[in-house]
Amino acid sequence: MLATVRKQLRNHPALIPLFIFIGGGAAMSMLYLARLGLRNPDVCWDRKNNPEPWNKLGPTDQYKFFAVNMDYSKLKKDRPDF
Amino acid sequence: MAQYTQLGLQDAASPLMEELLHFHDHALMIITLISAFVLYIILTMVTAKTTDKYILDSQEVEIIWTVLPAIILVLIALPSLRILYLLDEINDPHLTIKAMGHQWYWSYEYTDYEDLGFDSYMVPTQDLTPGQFRLLEADHRMVIPVESPIRVLVSAEDVLHSWAVPSLGVKMDAVPGRLNQVAFVASRPGVFFGQCSEICGANHSFMPIVVEAVPLEHFENWSSLMLEDA
Repeated sequence: MLATVRKQLRNHPALIPLFIFIGGGAAMSMLYLARLGLRNPDVCWDRKNNPEPWNKLGPTDQYKFFAVNMDYSKLKKDRPDF
Repeated sequence: MAQYTQLGLQDAASPLMEELLHFHDHALMIITLISAFVLYIILTMVTAKTTDKYILDSQEVEIIWTVLPAIILVLIALPSLRILYLLDEINDPHLTIKAMGHQWYWSYEYTDYEDLGFDSYMVPTQDLTPGQFRLLEADHRMVIPVESPIRVLVSAEDVLHSWAVPSLGVKMDAVPGRLNQVAFVASRPGVFFGQCSEICGANHSFMPIVVEAVPLEHFENWSSLMLEDA
């Protein structure tokens, strides 16, 4: 399979950017999905040891991927403990 | 407010809406240029008097028309994702207002300090005074202080509604039994109009939203007057 692809690439080098962009796009989507699955506090994998990870968020935790204008270290906790 | 034959978005009244407007201009410029270019190519192809029947393929042009669109898409995606994350940022609201959707009016509750609540019905067309806007005016406006972060908790008492004010860049569904939160800052004083944006029955088109942004002292006077009237 790989030999066929290599032969086609040698005859049509214009396919290389296609591999780069589609491969890169697929890789980035899978990486983001993996990040969401493993690091998102809304997801519970271990019902015994970590049943409700969304309750463990502190006021300075950034759970979003990207912070444009927000300095999360400056936030304070403004609600009572329960 | 929206105007007859309006083509673009309404003027922005909040920083988020300004960002959305600029992104819309950016994306529209890109697709206009691409469409003009494609139209030009089509016209030249269609009106050409000669044809080269020995062209079979070309690696160079294939590389160009793979790489260039990918770069253009990245240039559209990066500002888009930036705005997406900007919309979800945590701000520190100075005021929390509850907007409840009913069939067929909105009710607003300002319960941070005192118990202030009132209903906001559309002004019927036959009761309009000169200068008022048909189907957009309401008898009681939601007054907010200008340049203060406001949090609006949107919900509904009966069926689905949606609280939308385009010039503030705000739209949030009002779901019965659910509290949805939306936050914004009005960057300039003014009156901003919106309409219910989720079909809710016979008078869905006749329950507008009117937000009036005023300086803080005027807001305090207004809320004291409203409390006295209640």
